[in-house]
Amino acid sequence: MSSKGRDNDDSSEWQSALKEELNKKIKEQKVLVDELSNLKKNRNVYIQQRNSNIFFLADRGQTLGSCKKELDNMKKELQDM
Amino acid sequence: MAEEGKVSVDDLGGVVRLREEHEKVVKDCESRIQHWKKVSGDYEAVNERLQTLPDQLSYDIMVPFGPLAFMPGKLVHTNELMVLLGDNWFAKCSAKQAQKIVDHRTKHVKSELDDLSKTMKNFEARVGFVKDLETFSARKKEYAEIREEVRQDIAVTKGRQRVAHRPNSKPKLETILDLKEEDEEENQEESSDEGSRKGIVTEEELWARLDELEKLEELEDEQDRLSDNADMNSEDTSSSSSEEDKEKGRRFCFSCKRIESEAKLDLLEPKKVRINTGKNTMLKFSERKEQKEILKRKKKNGHNNGLSHHELHKITTPADIYRLFVDVKNGEPVPRKSILKSRSRENSVCSDTSESSAADYEERRLTGRSFSHDEATTSDTSDGVTEEDSPTGGPLHPPNRFEAFSGMVVEKDPMTSAVPHMTIAPPALPTILERRQEEVAVPEVAPPQQAPKKVSKFKAARLQRT
Repeated sequence: MSSKGRDNDDSSEWQSALKEELNKKIKEQKVLVDELSNLKKNRNVYIQQRNSNIFFLADRGQTLGSCKKELDNMKKELQDM
Repeated sequence: MAEEGKVSVDDLGGVVRLREEHEKVVKDCESRIQHWKKVSGDYEAVNERLQTLPDQLSYDIMVPFGPLAFMPGKLVHTNELMVLLGDNWFAKCSAKQAQKIVDHRTKHVKSELDDLSKTMKNFEARVGFVKDLETFSARKKEYAEIREEVRQDIAVTKGRQRVAHRPNSKPKLETILDLKEEDEEENQEESSDEGSRKGIVTEEELWARLDELEKLEELEDEQDRLSDNADMNSEDTSSSSSEEDKEKGRRFCFSCKRIESEAKLDLLEPKKVRINTGKNTMLKFSERKEQKEILKRKKKNGHNNGLSHHELHKITTPADIYRLFVDVKNGEPVPRKSILKSRSRENSVCSDTSESSAADYEERRLTGRSFSHDEATTSDTSDGVTEEDSPTGGPLHPPNRFEAFSGMVVEKDPMTSAVPHMTIAPPALPTILERRQEEVAVPEVAPPQQAPKKVSKFKAARLQRT
């Protein structure tokens, strides 16, 4: 019995950790979206290539759109859990 | 009762430890899976970028200028990539090729991930099982563990106890071949050692065999003493008994086998090898008795002589190299000449006598040919494994030599019949230098007949003038 309880504890702990992580990410994404939407029109936006230090010039509107999409996806994920 | 309780506690401890270990494995798998997931994500990103990279001629980017600084720049040559193959080797390729490589690597990553997830599942199941076991052993006492204790003194040992090699002893095959090296007593010791080690030949058999060999040896010794004390130096001329001849033949067979194929050697049964070597040893001793006078002085050299037959072809130690490049003549080691150096003196003498009849016009051709001629002979000697066994091997292959100089036959000569004679002649001297010295020393004593054989055109002309 005790072992089962421990098992449950483990899984719940794991899940809560995941949730926390996701929450943090969502917060970050919200900040990002706000920043992007508040940018002046003549500002340049660069996107970092993953795993490297190169930044590619990107379109401001497109980036804003993709970031919003990502935020929606994350929110959905959080709801599912 | 108390004991039982103790046992169960012990059991529990073991089970708990088992579970912990399994959990450790699971955690390890998890961390590895995470790592691989990250890698696969990186590859996906790269793939994504590669798909669109050649779409434009150039991209505006921020170029990293150290870890913190950036400066605006342009990315050009968008279809030229350097792909790291590993170990700091790169391959230049196009974006499409790079994509292929990425696909290939992602496949590998996927398979790795699959394997890891499988093992993780497996160990998770095991953890569950161990947990069940824990609950069982904790709750119920009616399950008894069956144990059988193994006492140390009854531990089954097949055959005799193994004896460690002596500090300086070599691997088995080597020791067998080196038996000849040892003195008789030591030989017996060693062979008996071997017997115990192998457990194939019983000690009684071995001793019987040794006694037999000893008797034979004594007999032969006496025979030798009676028959010939005069011909000590030459084995071949000595009136050795037919039995000994047989032995020798067998030995040659053995060595031939070895030379023919090393793979076969490996297949040889240890027992067979042992017996053969046994005969070898006997033969060795009899030979030794035969050439007592020589070998007493240089026992080691004699042994070398014996070994050179067997181990010429395989080099495992620097000593083998030495053996390989040292010819043994009459029990004395003569260092083999480098191909860059001149041939040994005896050979030159030989060629002198045989070519003394050569006509004058041949000289020039010979000088022209001497270099290639020399090459051929030296290569022959380096190839020949049993060169010393047949010193007359050189002249036995005239056609080869002839072919080697076929180019020279075309030369315009008054007498073409002399060419074959030339080719058949034993290895000529590579060195003009030695000869020259001779000439300088005694120019008058040795007129055109001998001296000018190796002389250059100019030298010959000068000599003629004088």
